Amino acid sequence: MMPTQSQLRLRTVLFWMVPLALLAVPLLVNSYVQFIVNSVLIYALVTLGFNFVIGNLGQLAFANTAFFGIGAYASAIATTSLGLPWLATIPLAGVAGAIGGFLASGAALRGIRFYYLAIITLAFGELMRWLYVHAKSVTGGTDGLSLPRETVMGYSLTDDRVKFYVFLVVTVLLFKATLNLLRSHVGRSIMAVRENEVATASLGIPTSRVIVTGFIWSGFVVGCAGSLFALHTSYVFPESFGMLHLIISFAMVLVGGLGSVLGAVLGAAALTVLPEYLRSFPGMEELFFGLIVIAVLLVLPQGLASLLRRVSPIFVERFYRE
Amino acid sequence: MHDPLMTICDLHVAYGKKPILRGATFDVLPGECLTLLGANGSGKSTSLNAICGFVRPASGSISMDGAELAGLAPHEIFQHGVAQVSQKRDLFPDLTVADNLRLGAMRRGGKAAAQTLEQIYARFPRLAERRNQATRTLSGGEQQMVAIGRALMSGPRLLLLDEPSGGLSPEFCEEIAQLMDGLKSDGVTMLMVEQNLKLAFRAADRFIVLRDGLVVDGGDVKAMEGNHDAIIKNIYL
Repeated sequence: MMPTQSQLRLRTVLFWMVPLALLAVPLLVNSYVQFIVNSVLIYALVTLGFNFVIGNLGQLAFANTAFFGIGAYASAIATTSLGLPWLATIPLAGVAGAIGGFLASGAALRGIRFYYLAIITLAFGELMRWLYVHAKSVTGGTDGLSLPRETVMGYSLTDDRVKFYVFLVVTVLLFKATLNLLRSHVGRSIMAVRENEVATASLGIPTSRVIVTGFIWSGFVVGCAGSLFALHTSYVFPESFGMLHLIISFAMVLVGGLGSVLGAVLGAAALTVLPEYLRSFPGMEELFFGLIVIAVLLVLPQGLASLLRRVSPIFVERFYRE
Repeated sequence: MHDPLMTICDLHVAYGKKPILRGATFDVLPGECLTLLGANGSGKSTSLNAICGFVRPASGSISMDGAELAGLAPHEIFQHGVAQVSQKRDLFPDLTVADNLRLGAMRRGGKAAAQTLEQIYARFPRLAERRNQATRTLSGGEQQMVAIGRALMSGPRLLLLDEPSGGLSPEFCEEIAQLMDGLKSDGVTMLMVEQNLKLAFRAADRFIVLRDGLVVDGGDVKAMEGNHDAIIKNIYL
């Protein structure tokens, strides 16, 4: 069932009301919970960017962790080597991630798709990890890079509450931009490619370029998330950008709901909070984590977002602007 | 005699090492409906796919108003005003009729698209009634209307129709024929591949027969009236 006009208006109000309400979070939670909430915001962006490629664009691609690492390293290098303030490195990290997106998807311009593109993007991610380890003079090698302590308008950026406000603004802006992009004619082309590439090409849409554009935007969003991650942990090293991170972000996409912007938040929240909760069961964490993910996907194959869609049409995502 | 809208000259197309078109040559005149006839594997659909750019010709020329189309990408050929309705219809099943139609005008946008959409609804009142329905819920005939309507949304100069009657009831075939009459009277040039000879002869002005990738026969449909057996023999025997 499609949302009515009044429900659409309510949805717009909710989109802005939820972040406004979240402004109170630092006043209500302890520093441990604040750290988890900050992680959720970062992984919401990671999932959003990953979902953009596999859910909205419909391409099987695994360069997400590479974009995340590129963004984190871009931010870390810009602050440590170039002396830029961290805030200024967020767009820089986004651009670096976008360039990564272009490079990872360049093969699509030559007609490489799906499984073949997946392997190329996977190789791209491993290549980047090799670079982080071996370009020691720039990346610090296996020792990684530590970010300098900074303040913004007198507030220390080592304080998780201050970080939260910055992360929240970046997250809301990137979610809004992604929603607008999906509702634009570029977004429609992206989803048309996912549905039927041949039909899309027959409508005069350059499908290879659309695929590369999708990767570039994904790289930008995840690159920005990498920048937030660099500040979040104050330390960037190659092991943070390995296969485990890739698998968890893939699970976040599926648990949240393939192709769903709302699902990106839900998937990231669920799979960031769950492992923390499971720490109460030492030795059984991985087992419970795996079982819960399987159970969610069996009961809700379209992810947690589908649960909300059943509750109210307000959560139905229809990326078309009349 | 008008200058041709499109000229296909000595077109060779192969799938791997298997040649399908071996030097096909024909013209499409402005405002006419030309039908390609031939047995299975004679190269009819391949001709349309080569014109649209989905198959790259090995050699030969496809020119439209002096512009060479052979070897261009599908989206570039589309910009020259060539739109195809494929045999599979290639609709977006989960999108509504209106969304599918709008996708046809992605390259135009704005007021022109909205105007054309109203014209499409006027031409296909049944689609107007179902504009908010997902296309997967429509009957085969209605889906065919959406596919044709979507192609018309781009305002094509040449409309390619690959077996428009495929899988449709005789009633719907007649509806498609009437639709094509309407398009012809509006001056839309059509190149059609059709196995249903009744529809082919009912809707087309001219025909050509392909055999083994070569044009072996052709002519005016009206001139052949009542003598379709000769054409059928030429196609299949």
